[in-house]
Amino acid sequence: MLKLIQNEWMKLWHKKGTWAMVAMLILVILVPAGITKYYEVKSPTEGSWQDIEQEAIQSYKETLAGEDLTEEDKAYFQEQMAISEYRLANDAPSQKDSSLASFMSFTSGMLTLVTLFTVITAASIVSSEFSTGTIKMLLTRPMSRAKVLTSKLLTTFLFGLLLYVVNVVVSALIGLILFGMGTGVELEMVNGQVVEKAVWSDLAYHYLLSGGDFVMSTLFAFLIGSVFRSSSLAIGLTMFLSFTGGMIVMFLSRYDIVKYIWLTHSDLTQYEHGGGSMIADVTLPFSLIVLAIYAVVFLVISYSTFMKRDVTA
Amino acid sequence: MTEPIVQLQNLSKTIRGKQLIQQLNIDLYPGQITGFLGPNGAGKTTTIRMMTGLMHPTEGNVIIDGLSLKEHYEEAISKVGVIVENPEMYKFMSGYKNLLHFARMHKNVTKERIQEVIQQVGLENRIHEKVSTYSLGMRQRLGLAQALLHRPKFLILDEPTNGLDPAGIREFRMYLRKIASEEGVSVFVSSHLLSEIELMCDRVAVIQNGQLIDLRDIHNESSSFYYVEAQPKEQVSAYLEQHDFTFVAENQGYVVEMKKEDVPAMTTQLVQAGIQLFAVQPHQKTLEDQFLEMTGGGQIAEANSK
Repeated sequence: MLKLIQNEWMKLWHKKGTWAMVAMLILVILVPAGITKYYEVKSPTEGSWQDIEQEAIQSYKETLAGEDLTEEDKAYFQEQMAISEYRLANDAPSQKDSSLASFMSFTSGMLTLVTLFTVITAASIVSSEFSTGTIKMLLTRPMSRAKVLTSKLLTTFLFGLLLYVVNVVVSALIGLILFGMGTGVELEMVNGQVVEKAVWSDLAYHYLLSGGDFVMSTLFAFLIGSVFRSSSLAIGLTMFLSFTGGMIVMFLSRYDIVKYIWLTHSDLTQYEHGGGSMIADVTLPFSLIVLAIYAVVFLVISYSTFMKRDVTA
Repeated sequence: MTEPIVQLQNLSKTIRGKQLIQQLNIDLYPGQITGFLGPNGAGKTTTIRMMTGLMHPTEGNVIIDGLSLKEHYEEAISKVGVIVENPEMYKFMSGYKNLLHFARMHKNVTKERIQEVIQQVGLENRIHEKVSTYSLGMRQRLGLAQALLHRPKFLILDEPTNGLDPAGIREFRMYLRKIASEEGVSVFVSSHLLSEIELMCDRVAVIQNGQLIDLRDIHNESSSFYYVEAQPKEQVSAYLEQHDFTFVAENQGYVVEMKKEDVPAMTTQLVQAGIQLFAVQPHQKTLEDQFLEMTGGGQIAEANSK
């Protein structure tokens, strides 16, 4: 099995597209970092931080005095004002420029790209063997089809994991070099109390929750790719569902069935910051169970069709 | 007789109600090269795909070295080397990486063995270049190399000489003969080049419409034929009829079925009768003639036109 994965890994890195994906992933981290740094150096903020906070409080007051504000807006500005007042009272300056943490929470948005690239790999890793005819060479070996498919699945996830690591490590390095650890304190309101934000654990939790969409999209693309032997169909369908997924869930939200389709659950980041699902009675453990069941179903279909198939390519 | 290395037992394949292969029974023996012939659409490729595990038979079984392909797939297939149609390689990798890739899928294929095979197929100079730069003939050689890596006891080749130059074909033929006789490898070759099969094989199996219609040894013909060309033709045919020879008209003369011993007597008598004799020569029926005879030329044309 290890040798099979070694084979798949070798084939993967001999394709130019793989290198292009990694390069692109690094580029989308590097370019915004450069631009941000450039503007921070060019136009540094003026005045002491106390003055800035005072000004902010003044502008919040003016806004609140205005008439046409919704309840939500009101609550938001009051919260902001409370935080600013807390800063002045407790000598806790805000983060003036970007810091490592703020930069990393920005680049964690690039995880969508990690998912996209892993989906592309998952979609083509089986179907490309069919389209080039090499599947004949691959399956007339003393390795069962189940082993061959497993090696491809594991290689896909290994590649996805590598992209994840590249995202984290590159943005940590760039962030550290360009922005440093920062000097400010991040604050937030929890239950009417101003507290220091747990920046790092929030970030780690975000990385973890992003894994939900990553795993489901990859398995779905792998399924379509190995059943229909067409990588474009697999990529297209997976992308289509990830774009329209929210709409489909919204559309079905009146019916009970919405709880049992995976699209409702695959974006686990909806549970971040103590948030809940937009569908009633749906909690994180419930979502995880539904996703696990779908994952198993996708895998069973992938394996059974791949093993039964008559290869005529 | 030695034990067969490969046995096809009642092999049948039905796809969407259409019987592509019906009850195929063939035994293949070590050291023997068997040609596999049949008109287009007869089911050659389907049979080969079932023998390599790419397709699952609807009925029947393939036994390789005593092991059923269905039940002991990994062990059975490890004794088989395969080239199915054009050997499709990973074009974005070098020939060597391709071989390394396939070597890893077998047990006990060392780096030395890979080098040895590369030398055997004569690819030393280009092996580290990408396969996309290879000519068709070189790809065929690489295809042969990957099939030989694990020293198979049984080699299945589908159209192996397609794209090889004459020297390559000759070399390839000699090589197959060598491994068959020296290492006792059983070879099963399908080809459309009948003359090629004739030169290469000990035996031919002919299928048509999914059924085995003939399985015979090539080189020992039981009856012999002679081509007789003489003038005037009427007298010749009269003579042949008189002496109860079976014959057919061909070109300027006749092909006559007769024993070697009868030849001197016939020539003497013909000359004495004042007939002008131009040629008497042994007539080998080519495999092509036999093939067309067996399958019926019209049916091939029909299959082709589909």
